[in-house]
Amino acid sequence: MQELTLASPGGAILGLDAVLILLSALACLGSKLFDRYLTYYALQSVLLAVAAATAAYLERDAALWVLAGLTLALKGWAIPTAARHWLVQRLDLKRDSGSTAGLSLTLVMGTALCAFAYLAVSPERLAHGLLAASVVPISTAVVLLGALAMVVRRHMVAQLIGWLIMENGVFLGAITLTASFPLIVEVGIFFDLLAGFLIMLAMTTGLAERVSPLPAGRSGQDS
Amino acid sequence: MVWLPVLVAALPLGGSAVAAVSVRTRRAALAAVAGAAGSLALAVVVATLAIAGTPIASAGAFVYVDSLGGFFLVTVAVVVLLASLGSSSYLAAEERSGQLSPRRVRIYFGAFGLFAASMLAAVETANLGLLFILVEAATLASVVLVPLEGRTEGLEAGWRYVIISSLGITVALVGALFLFYSASALPGSAEAHLAWPFLLAHAHQLAPTALRLGFLLGVVGYGTKVGLAPMHTWLPDAHAEAPAPASAMLSGALLNVGMYAIIRLLAIANRGLGTQYGGRTMLIFGFLSVLVGVVFMIRRRDFKRLFAYSSVEHMGIIAVGLGFGGLLGIYGALLHSLNHSLGKTILFLSGGSVALAYGTRRTDRLGGVVGTMPWTGALLFGAALAILGAPPFGLFISEFTIVRAGLTGDQPWLVALLLGFLAVAFLAFIRTVGGMLLGAPRGVHREPYHGAPEHLLAVVPSAVALVALLGLGLLIPSWLNSLLTQSVALVR
Repeated sequence: MQELTLASPGGAILGLDAVLILLSALACLGSKLFDRYLTYYALQSVLLAVAAATAAYLERDAALWVLAGLTLALKGWAIPTAARHWLVQRLDLKRDSGSTAGLSLTLVMGTALCAFAYLAVSPERLAHGLLAASVVPISTAVVLLGALAMVVRRHMVAQLIGWLIMENGVFLGAITLTASFPLIVEVGIFFDLLAGFLIMLAMTTGLAERVSPLPAGRSGQDS
Repeated sequence: MVWLPVLVAALPLGGSAVAAVSVRTRRAALAAVAGAAGSLALAVVVATLAIAGTPIASAGAFVYVDSLGGFFLVTVAVVVLLASLGSSSYLAAEERSGQLSPRRVRIYFGAFGLFAASMLAAVETANLGLLFILVEAATLASVVLVPLEGRTEGLEAGWRYVIISSLGITVALVGALFLFYSASALPGSAEAHLAWPFLLAHAHQLAPTALRLGFLLGVVGYGTKVGLAPMHTWLPDAHAEAPAPASAMLSGALLNVGMYAIIRLLAIANRGLGTQYGGRTMLIFGFLSVLVGVVFMIRRRDFKRLFAYSSVEHMGIIAVGLGFGGLLGIYGALLHSLNHSLGKTILFLSGGSVALAYGTRRTDRLGGVVGTMPWTGALLFGAALAILGAPPFGLFISEFTIVRAGLTGDQPWLVALLLGFLAVAFLAFIRTVGGMLLGAPRGVHREPYHGAPEHLLAVVPSAVALVALLGLGLLIPSWLNSLLTQSVALVR
């Protein structure tokens, strides 16, 4: 994967796909509606599945095909559907108003993080023009954008989606940088993601029954 | 021999299985204790084998126990056994008082077994990918325990815990990715590039920028688990709100598991980048954690939060020891992690009994605990002295070793800073705990435990641990010494 250039057809598809993944993260960051968060996340996951499938095709790697399928089924369909049903509809979530920073400030910070990712993370052994050299900063940027969403947003559901986006960023990096990442590890990570999602889902609904609006960002009450 | 470490990690799952199928909570408690005891016995065997010769390893280091892993394995297994014994009496009392429904008690033991198993497995692997998976699994299992007592604060604390930890641990995964990448030019399979022994052996050939980034991200990521400042913010809430034996597991075992991961990364960084880079990183995080821990210990009125901030402080001390480096620094840091685990487990377990008896964790509403609960009070007092580094307990020796390591280094003034912090911690801690234990009787005491077995279960394990802590202050057994010195050789 590391020798793949941006000019080759496979490289071009992967590069374009990575850019779209970054854009969907930015779109999610710039949105204020819970429903949209999930739409953008689902879109991003489908794009990620496309990236994995492209890599699988190029590498002729069965493990990556499995991964692409898992990504599509779980992240592209199951998680967004479950979240839409159990969180957005059941808790009747519409507009996300709990943010520590305004929307424009958040987007400025997001753009700054993208720039930071580009300046700070350039794999030094990779020549210019190689796919990995441009995708690794993109995946780092997606990780940072997810982290930003978790930090500035106070609503639990928004934080949860921030974490999911972060995870997608890591996966993008794993696919392009190291297509050979051992399958057992990748599947384990998937399993963790799923378990984490379910636990967070349970906690969010548990808290929603007690207090509203969900005060996840309340500072620790030191006594 | 690979089956032996696997069995160590699998035994606590027996408790989970029994909790899943059995209606009787006592059976689940019994299974948890039996599993933990079996794990500890086998962990000692595994550690002894690791001292004797080559590490017990599978391909790709998915299972890999050397002396460093063996040392942490025994530490975690000891805490798991103590906490499972404490759980049996604590949960029985909570179920009787109606604070926990039988269903919740079963959930507790189910998650407890998973938590213990994933921690034990985490220190038995040296594959950085699997390590991430297991640490995250331990986090998720323990998140279930935190809000179990059903308070809204507990749910909020659990949420903060899961969200901050998941964020941190994802950073650690990015770190693992960079380490993997730093090795990608080397020959060998993909599994090998994630395996710690391979990375350590080829540390000089790793791409330095990627290695540096991988190390830093790993320290920040796993540092979130360890509770290193400024990533510690989940820790006080989670430790305070969890049922007491679960708090003991968090503080005594989970923090160590995070530290284990950092030490593995530090070993690679020390080899590949020189000891100064890793050492300085550890010193910065260490001193920041000691500072934050000590400052927040001052006038803390909730004793479980006090213990939690003390954990932040002690993790800082361990990081400082690793930062000073050399034989003394790393030896002291490892020994300190064992000592701290023992001391903090006693504090949380005995503190849990006090909270059950008085129905409060607020020290300004407590007084004269030693008079009403002599055994528990005495244990708390002894463990408090131990945790503050008073001689002749083990923590005195390990802190003294770390201080000596600092004095031999090129920045001896750091030692003065550390000692200053420790003095403030001593005053803050003893003021709060002293007032609660001694002083005029205050608060309404209601005996939480019924019958001799529960009373014994609540006191005897902690008493044994305190005696062990005393013993470690007087003499370090040669078995432990060789485990430690061999571990140091791996990290230096």
